[in-house]
Amino acid sequence: MAFRHKNTRRIEGLDSNVWVEFTKVAADPSIVNLGQGLPDISPPSYVKEELAKAAAVDRLNQYTRGFGHPSLVKALSQVYERVCGRKIDPLTDILVTVGAYGSLFSTIQALIEEGDEVIIIEPFYDCYEPMVRMAGAKPVFIPLRCKNNGNSASSADWVLDPADLANKFNSKTKAIILNTPHNPIGKVFTQEELQVIADLCIKHDTLCISDEVYEWLVYKGNKHIKIATLPGMWERTVTIGSAGKTYSVTGWKLGWSIGPENLIRHLQVVHQNTLYTCPTPLQEALAQAFWIDYKRMDDPDCYFYSLSRELESKRDRMARLLKEAGLKPVIPDGGYFMIVDVSTLNVDLSGVDEKQPYDYKFVRWMIASKKLSAIPLSAFCGPETKKQFEKYIRFCFIKKDSTLDAAEVILKNWNKQTG
Amino acid sequence: MLRRAGSSLRHFLVERKSSAGYSLCSREAKMSRPVQARRLEGIDKNVWVEFVKLAATYSKVNLGQGFPDFPAPDFLQEALKRALSEGTHMLHQYTRAFGHPPLVKVLAQIFEKVLGRELDPMTNVMVTVGAYQALFCCFQAFVDEGDEVVVIEPFFDCYEPMVKMAGGTSVFVPLRPKAPKDGKLMSSADWQLDPAELASKFSERTKAIVLNSPNNPLGKVFSRGELELIAELCVKHDVLCISDEVYEWLVYDGKEHIRIASLPGMWDRTVTIGSAGKTFSATGWKVGWTVGPDRLLQHVRTVHQNSVYHCATIAQEAVAQGFQRELTLYGKPESYFVQLPKTLQQKRDLLIQILVAVGIKPIVPEGTYFLVADISEFKSDVPEVPNSDEPYDCRFTKWMMKNKGLAAIPLSTFYSEAHKNNYPNFIRFCFAKEEATLKAANDILQKWKKEKTSS
Repeated sequence: MAFRHKNTRRIEGLDSNVWVEFTKVAADPSIVNLGQGLPDISPPSYVKEELAKAAAVDRLNQYTRGFGHPSLVKALSQVYERVCGRKIDPLTDILVTVGAYGSLFSTIQALIEEGDEVIIIEPFYDCYEPMVRMAGAKPVFIPLRCKNNGNSASSADWVLDPADLANKFNSKTKAIILNTPHNPIGKVFTQEELQVIADLCIKHDTLCISDEVYEWLVYKGNKHIKIATLPGMWERTVTIGSAGKTYSVTGWKLGWSIGPENLIRHLQVVHQNTLYTCPTPLQEALAQAFWIDYKRMDDPDCYFYSLSRELESKRDRMARLLKEAGLKPVIPDGGYFMIVDVSTLNVDLSGVDEKQPYDYKFVRWMIASKKLSAIPLSAFCGPETKKQFEKYIRFCFIKKDSTLDAAEVILKNWNKQTG
Repeated sequence: MLRRAGSSLRHFLVERKSSAGYSLCSREAKMSRPVQARRLEGIDKNVWVEFVKLAATYSKVNLGQGFPDFPAPDFLQEALKRALSEGTHMLHQYTRAFGHPPLVKVLAQIFEKVLGRELDPMTNVMVTVGAYQALFCCFQAFVDEGDEVVVIEPFFDCYEPMVKMAGGTSVFVPLRPKAPKDGKLMSSADWQLDPAELASKFSERTKAIVLNSPNNPLGKVFSRGELELIAELCVKHDVLCISDEVYEWLVYDGKEHIRIASLPGMWDRTVTIGSAGKTFSATGWKVGWTVGPDRLLQHVRTVHQNSVYHCATIAQEAVAQGFQRELTLYGKPESYFVQLPKTLQQKRDLLIQILVAVGIKPIVPEGTYFLVADISEFKSDVPEVPNSDEPYDCRFTKWMMKNKGLAAIPLSTFYSEAHKNNYPNFIRFCFAKEEATLKAANDILQKWKKEKTSS
């Protein structure tokens, strides 16, 4: 039977994905999973309670407002008005989406098209590239480079070269995607670094898509700055946030885009033609959780700050364990990931005859022989920089104590088994 | 000056000193093109956005937007409660991207039953954020620039903008009403495709046909003969079928919902779409699915993984439990799939009575929870406006909402631009409502009728 049907051009080459392989692995309970970025700690109890309450209300099991449940957009506008120091209209300046992932998609589909170039900073959360390609545009990569000749102790050592960056901008540049705090390195862009980016955006009349899902997870000595608050940036920036990362509920898949009406309205058009509305009871529960924390934003017990403190001690523990095993972690200033230089272990994988980058081979070897999983960093790079990043792997540390205990056992015994 | 923001900001000059010490003046717009992507052209209007706003302000009795005002079934609410209290807290974290394993497994079991073929839950089923997102993924996966998609009018309004956004062209073919037998009310079955007309819509550019059975807004349940006609054309022209079957369980008068994917030659070229929102009266949960052959679903998966990736875990867990219950009760009287259409049929019949009593002529729907009716009797209150941009039924429903507090949807919503004035006297009612709501609608209509007779 004749059958001519293949995929459309827009998804050509976009079918494969690092997660397909590595999340399958995670399903094996004998593996200590520090790979995919999902918490195995419990969300705060009031968040779960609010969902139970919401689901018991009949009308909350039916459709709500397409662009965002009224009580949720109201709560988001209050929280972010406070953070940004400007008025935010809940109906026109906010769109609620299916995760920050959905916000990235809506933003890119709304504002990016064939003929456009989009600057992506490497390493990058892996969906940026396929989403830009699906919109018909060209990704232009620029790597973060390690300041101290490869001797990196902190995420702050990884920086953009301003001249390099400036060279990437041209008349076709429609947007730059910024991710701060950064996944996978954990870098928290400083005021000065953001100013360099802002200057270029303004000079070239470029949009900024700012992925700030880890905005609350910044560690001592660091401050999360929203690029949209810099002069000249509000009108050209879409800022993206995530309930999953804010409240440790990645499975709720709620995110939001915040920005000026003249940009958000186009995201709303995409949304009304893609999935129309997000689940009601989850949005209601999230709204209530936000009100609880909004009221205590001056209080250190606010979950936005308490989670960060909890994660900082996990970060420090993780770093200590890795160092003891002879690995070189890059201490992140934010986020819940840590990248590690594994070349110091000199694990010889040349016998593994695949054309895969070293880090893919290392992670597969580590999963098989050490029962510990991570994610290879070259999954987060464009084709030109794979060599630069293939000695790094990424660990996720938003894990409960028993998971970190299990990781500790593996890492403490690491040297005993090798060499 | 921001080229992006349109003319209102073109005169706004930004001047600031950068860290390098020189002042930066934004320049004249380098491009005259707008900030938004061209794929948004012509798809920015959406009747529901406006309608929901109006209904929130004016309507006392809302028979407009399609959602139940009665509760979701107890067993579903209990399933969610159980998941929250007894389930692991990992239900609040990401699940499998293409569908929570318990849900795809039970969906495969249910659809194996109804399609009469073996299904692999991992490759023949994909979960989406409502049937709406399933439709989006299908159009994005299969419709390229230059492709044509056959759309049967009247149609659920999102098909047209989704085809457009994918760069395709919708080719419309109407269901045409035949006069009912003497003395009988018109039925949705009386609205039919003309076979020659349908055949003429297929060309070498035709990529797919969208089928919606049971049909929103008419409530038509396509017969085996009608589906065979469509199937023949699909096979002959090697065309895909996107089959929107969200109302699959809501069929009345003992009618059978036939799945086109089960017809000869159709499984390999059909993606069947379903909805937990419609199946379980929980539209706010936004859980839908696609069922089809792996060689089609693989592309639907690619779109999904590059757009939303995962759907909410806990909603999927609860829906899976709902389906488990239905699987064990399949065909039995306590099955929700048996109970719900029974209840809705009674509501349908009540609404029919209400409308007939005031002279509004209903088209009796064979399925769905919608009913289209002819409001000619009440036209005198809303005079025609010659050369108006707005179709008459739109003006009528807006007037009715604002002045009588009764909300319904104009039928022109479900027609292409060129055909919006074809049926000016028809509006759509949703009868998935508590009896009290339907009685309140009756009060409004009775009062209105009295005012007309006495004036």
